Amino acid sequence: MPELALDGIRVVDLSQGIAGPYATKLLADLGAEVIKVEPPTGDYTRRLGPFPGDVPDPNKSGLFIHLNGNKKSVTLDIKSDEGRSALAKLIGTADVFVESETPGRMADLDLHYNDLKDAYPNLVYASVTPFGQTGPYANYKGNSLAAMALSGLMYITGDPDKAPLVTGGEPAEYFGALHAWVAILAALEYRGQHGRGQHVDVSWLEALGSADEYNTPMYSYLGAIRRRFYSRHHIPTFPSEIYPCRDGHIVVIGGASGFPLMMAILLEQPELESNPLFQNLWLRTMQWKEFEEILRPYLMQHDWRDLLERAQELRVPFAAVLDPQTLLENEHILERGYFAEIEQPGVGKLPMSGNLFRMSETPLRHSPAPLLGEHNADVVQEAAR
Amino acid sequence: MTLPLDGVRVLDLAQVYAGPTATRLLADLGADIIKIEGLKRMDITRNFVMPENDSSGDYWNKSGYFLMRNGGKKSLTLDFSEESGGVGIEIVKKLATHCDIVVESFTPHVMKKLGIDYESLKLIRPDVIMISLSGYGQNGPWRDYSAYGMGLEPASGISSITGYEGGDPLRTGISFTDPYSGIVGAGAVLAALVYRRRTGKGQYIDLSEQEAAIPVTGYATMDYAMNRRLPKRMGNRSLWHAPQGVYRCSGEDNWLAITVRDDGEWAALAKALGHAEWTDDPRFVDVASRFAHHDEIDSLIEGWTAGEDHIEAMHKLQAAGVLAAAVLNPKQVLLDPHLKARGFFDRVETVQKDERLIPHQIGARFSDFEPNTARRAPKLGEHNREILGGLLAMTEDEIAKLEENKVIGDEPISAVPLPVMRMFVQWPLASYQNMGALGGIETDYREQLGIASEKSETEGEAK
Repeated sequence: MPELALDGIRVVDLSQGIAGPYATKLLADLGAEVIKVEPPTGDYTRRLGPFPGDVPDPNKSGLFIHLNGNKKSVTLDIKSDEGRSALAKLIGTADVFVESETPGRMADLDLHYNDLKDAYPNLVYASVTPFGQTGPYANYKGNSLAAMALSGLMYITGDPDKAPLVTGGEPAEYFGALHAWVAILAALEYRGQHGRGQHVDVSWLEALGSADEYNTPMYSYLGAIRRRFYSRHHIPTFPSEIYPCRDGHIVVIGGASGFPLMMAILLEQPELESNPLFQNLWLRTMQWKEFEEILRPYLMQHDWRDLLERAQELRVPFAAVLDPQTLLENEHILERGYFAEIEQPGVGKLPMSGNLFRMSETPLRHSPAPLLGEHNADVVQEAAR
Repeated sequence: MTLPLDGVRVLDLAQVYAGPTATRLLADLGADIIKIEGLKRMDITRNFVMPENDSSGDYWNKSGYFLMRNGGKKSLTLDFSEESGGVGIEIVKKLATHCDIVVESFTPHVMKKLGIDYESLKLIRPDVIMISLSGYGQNGPWRDYSAYGMGLEPASGISSITGYEGGDPLRTGISFTDPYSGIVGAGAVLAALVYRRRTGKGQYIDLSEQEAAIPVTGYATMDYAMNRRLPKRMGNRSLWHAPQGVYRCSGEDNWLAITVRDDGEWAALAKALGHAEWTDDPRFVDVASRFAHHDEIDSLIEGWTAGEDHIEAMHKLQAAGVLAAAVLNPKQVLLDPHLKARGFFDRVETVQKDERLIPHQIGARFSDFEPNTARRAPKLGEHNREILGGLLAMTEDEIAKLEENKVIGDEPISAVPLPVMRMFVQWPLASYQNMGALGGIETDYREQLGIASEKSETEGEAK
């Protein structure tokens, strides 16, 4: 078996939901041993599904499986003194500890970083919460929707005549996860040089807010307040939109050299090359409805794959609009081996998401998510040794 | 102060958004980044977001967009195309021997053609860590597809679960997969560094920006794998909780996001809205009945929010134990007291000696060090002499000759005449506003944000 990037790193993970668990999943994929500490009822994502046949079962939740492959599960009731001292002991064996409790709760349990740092000076202790450990909203209730709202990304997403729109899939939690993962790795590198652990305070809101492409700069550089406007950028690129076509949807992007000639050829109407809407970017951007009157009818007579392949032959960067089915069946993603097949106990074969990137020396690993409390005996035995 | 990546040097051949995000994170964590741009191949983002929308002078050194992702880096201009006669590429190879990490974002065949792919670089720097960020990865039938960030969020599946009920898929109002895969790239490099610290070995990382973001669709993809069920777009509603939505408040285009996650939060909301009786109303008594009466609940909530300021309403509801968040516009984000208290925006002194507020690129605080975030971006070619004369010990004559031959320099060579570029770089803000794509244009934004212009800075110095 090849060596893994994080061989020898032990993570104790008290976090629940998406952000904390996905961060430790990425550590586990890279080879870290992750001991997931769950309450006796389990991480709440065990109750969120989806379930095979829609029959709830804490060991069969698709979201939980997606986020917790390669980990060990131990159940502990940290409300009891016994559970709390078992957790403290476990933390003592760890290189990294991750938690996602409301700020203040770990201090109430005497398990805040400040309670542990003298006993375990090498510990990297990460707190992963919606709004961070400090500031006026630290104790506000939060979710991905709230972070989308407060980051400003929601205001600029959606149609101008409708309510601001949230991005699907709980993206703030995933952004929070990535920043937590990067921060933990940075703290491990720091520890490698200086021999000291530290506290890492991750805010989903700030993780998502860092993805603000140019919206706050448009105000602090120009005084302009950007608003949502379909799928459109201000950066002069129109169109770069999703449009319906005969059998689904297609992303129409002209790119640097698509207009006027390539797009005219693509739409099989060479005379469009001399159309002012094809020749002049500003005119096309301002009179976009007229441009769409030319574009939309053609797209509705053609299939996405045909449009995609012909555009790419002309080096025009059209893109596919994939959904879960076309993602799982896509020949490119299949040939790259992105999804890893796992055998999930009680469920069967599932496509695990997957090979997030390819490392030539230290491949990522893939194994099922643990059953609730599956490793209780192992961990108790180890502690007794 | 010491930082985790002190002493780590990065050769950064990446441009635009994803790759530069990765190296910006490494820069903030202490790495020394040498960003290479060609005079004929300047990073295109140097053309976006001009101070005061002014494209005169050396506008390419003043871009706000470029600053966000390139603060703290060093700039070396270098033409290393085949036409340059091989001088540039030899310099790239020499530089590579001094670099721990190489980052590139060309389409897959380019690095090999130039003779600087991983196999070649490994021969001259055996422990090099190299990462390629590309739209679709280094192999597979779509590898050579031309890829723009705007196409990759839909290609990752995320747009299929984003949109209004019954409507078409929509993209997020940013080039979503660029920052997303940039952070993934930074993490992959850090993991490779941890491995190298232990074993002394470098390695090659192939990152597909399409693939990096697929996990965000995890729930929907598992549902299809388990139940052959495709997701429905459902606006701002939740799969699990009811009610959830974005509700219109007083004023123009002000909105409040609310989620009720359990019966307790429902009771809290009912009470806060002055309708404690909703708690026991059979229509709303549990999550199933609230899903069944979601439209009705939405009108009841909006009956209250319509008379409220969105930011004050957030504070009122949060104080009452309800998960509520104001939908802030970009200006309100800049002024938000929580982000301000957390120091999320750096006050950066720019090339033009004024101040701008720039959001952090890393959403984490560290107790033992502070990332080096508040730095301006380099001028084009600003560090040519420092890098060529210092690191590579080239003589002044050799450097002058490179300048003469336009292999290096500090002014872009554009395919279109400069006056045309200046026009393109200036944005037609009034037209955008007429279209409805801008919520407003304000002239007193410096005062509102409390940032200094060059003038007041000079006055300050005079005192």
